[in-house]
Amino acid sequence: MIEGRTYRVAEAPSLRVQVANLGLACCALEVESAVRMGLLIPEAESDGPAERTVLLVSGTVTEPLVPVVEAAVLSVPGASVMAFGACASTGGPYWDAPTVVNGVDRVAPVDRYVPGCPPRPDALIDALVGRSVVDGGSS
Amino acid sequence: MTALPRRGVIALIPDDCTSCLICVQECPTWCISLDSHTEQVAEPGARRPRTVSVLDRFTIDFGLCMYCGICVDVCPFDALAWAPDVDYSAASRPGLVQDTGTLASWRIDD
Repeated sequence: MIEGRTYRVAEAPSLRVQVANLGLACCALEVESAVRMGLLIPEAESDGPAERTVLLVSGTVTEPLVPVVEAAVLSVPGASVMAFGACASTGGPYWDAPTVVNGVDRVAPVDRYVPGCPPRPDALIDALVGRSVVDGGSS
Repeated sequence: MTALPRRGVIALIPDDCTSCLICVQECPTWCISLDSHTEQVAEPGARRPRTVSVLDRFTIDFGLCMYCGICVDVCPFDALAWAPDVDYSAASRPGLVQDTGTLASWRIDD
């Protein structure tokens, strides 16, 4: 199953981030980096209730992992789902592999896509707090 | 801790693009697509008109892009460049695909 690590965003402490790293998630290192930089803080009991929970999904979704992703999304009801990195967004560099599912949105609705292979820690924070230079679509 | 440089995105200078397709061929994730057509340009004194490619549409799918910069490196005309101050996430899958106008609007750092 997924690791149930939970963090709060340093600049928006009422925002809880639940991390679901899949089997192949080199993007997990960027989350660790955000923690080491103090941008994400491990949740403590004294933090109180969160206003909003974001389920951060990173890693390549392969067909055997589909039930794991479904379970992860169902385990955090009401959370908004963030596809973190190219693999979680679209399948990334492996999009044409036969057993790769082209993004978390083929399994569950995604509320925010963070591009990058991997995205930088500050891109993660920007996406979490809704700071972005470009939004929406062009096509 | 000092602030780290941002990752940035890849911007396009459409006037410098000759639609040679080298970036499209070299991209490891096939995230670039390019439409172009050819036009005949008659030049005074020339014996026959010259055929030139005209760029119609250039898109980068940042959902697939690895930000490896190979396209920037291989472009013979420096029509692609890093725009280091731009960073973004999208609320929808199509929002990760940026076309000519957006790519051209991103600031070029030189």
